[in-house]
Parts: sequence; C-alpha cells; structure tokens
Amino acid sequence: MKALRLFMGCALALSLSACASGMKFTEMKPSLSPTTQEMGRIFFYRPVTLGAALQPDILVNGKKVGDSVAWGFFHIDRIPGNYEVVTSTEVERKVSFVLEKGQTRYIRFSVNMGFFAGHVYGDLVDQATALPELEDCKYAGQAQGEK
Amino acid sequence: MEKMFNHVVSLSALVVVLVSGCAFNLADVKYSPTQFQSMTKDGRAFTLSMNVKLTDTPCWYGRELRQNTRWEYSGSVAQGEVFRSRDQILTLECSNIYEAYLVVREGRVMGFFLPVQQGFVGLPEPVVLPVKP
Repeated sequence: MKALRLFMGCALALSLSACASGMKFTEMKPSLSPTTQEMGRIFFYRPVTLGAALQPDILVNGKKVGDSVAWGFFHIDRIPGNYEVVTSTEVERKVSFVLEKGQTRYIRFSVNMGFFAGHVYGDLVDQATALPELEDCKYAGQAQGEK
Repeated sequence: MEKMFNHVVSLSALVVVLVSGCAFNLADVKYSPTQFQSMTKDGRAFTLSMNVKLTDTPCWYGRELRQNTRWEYSGSVAQGEVFRSRDQILTLECSNIYEAYLVVREGRVMGFFLPVQQGFVGLPEPVVLPVKP
C-alpha cells in the first residue's frame, strides 16, 4: 500500500512537472492574427494532462517548430500555402491543411493510448472550439527557429 | 509438451494482436487525384437549414455538417462543384487527418475534395443537402 502511494505520488509529480509553466493564455493575450496580412498564423496547443510525460517534436513541413507539451501553447507565422503538421510517438500522425493570407489555424493535440506508449496526435479545429480550450493553456515558449 | 504448445499459442496470439495494431495505424484515406479549377469570385453560396450527418466517410469517422453554416463556392472538380465554409472546419480522418471541402452536384454531396493532396474522396451514396431558401 505504501509503495502504491509512493508510486502514485511520483506519477503525479512527474505529470505536473511535465506540464507547460509559462504565462497563461488569458494573461498573455497573444494576437490571434499574424504579424502581417501577407502571412498566416498557426496556433498549437494541448489541453490535456493525460500522457504529460510524452512531449514529441512538432514538425511543420518536415521542420521542428517545438514540442507538444501538456497544457502548453505557442504559435508560428508562415507564408500562405499547404502545411503538414506531424508528431511522432509510437506512430507518426499527420494533419494537413491550407493556410491563407491573414488566416489563423488552430492545431489541438490529444493523447490516446497505444500498445506500448501513448500517441500524441494533432487535429485541425475551428476558432470557436480552440479559444475556450486555450484559456487554461500556458505559453510553452517561442517556437524554434522564430525570431 | 502441452506447456510448450500453450506458450506457442500465447506468443502467436500476441503477434496477431501487435500486427493488427500496426495495420490499423497505417489505415489511410483513399483518394483519387483530381484537377481543381479555382473560381473564388463566383459569389454562389448556400446555408444549411439543419444538421447533416455523413456516416459513410473513410474509416467510419463520421462527420456532421452543422445547421446554419454557410458554404461558399470555391471552384470545381470533375466530380462536382467545390464548396467550403468559414463557419466550420471539415476534415477526413483515418490514421492521418486531412482538411476537406464539400463536392456538391445537383444539391447532393458527392464526396470531398482534399485541397492539399488535390484528391477526391467519393461517398458511396450521395447525401441530399437541406438548404435555406
């Protein structure tokens, strides 16, 4: 029983330490629009604690832009075009979409259980879905390769 | 000998489970390449008068087109006219997720156009669209 409590305590501590710890979305109030109207903006967020220890790379058109962190969010601006977002855990999951000038897209990451470990996968969601879920997320840091 | 047989059966069952798991993970949306003719300034659009359930979608991930969503004409493919909505995001899903637009002919959904892949995914049975007058 004591061992079980210790295990549960460690698991909880590990889960919490693996969550994003930056400023809350509602405090930071990031612009929902890209910096210029010639660009588009992509938000990435993960509003779940489940599988917090899993922090796979997020690749956009093959280039790493950050990690998928539990209760974390960040965004990137990109030129209009076709985009493919990939996370790779036990299996590789892709989500593909079109980004237009001045447009903002939202990629929500979820976790489901695989045979040996959890899978983290992205989904394209609309703004009405994303904004309430983003409210409890914290800034996961500037995207890699962004100025 | 019997113990050995049991081990072999157990191991085989485990392999079958693992392999079937892998096969599921590799399931993908099947589409055929199609030529898209873009036409954004046409101005045609329709608004749905009620929710529309689409169940014969790839990998049985059903989709619902929401009531009051407005769908704007954005071009055509050989299979019909392509409409997209700014009120609702439409995707098709198997192991991967693809943004999709509606392909409509004579008031019925014939299938989906995948803008990134430039592909068409047909529905086995066209679905009537209830539109507001």
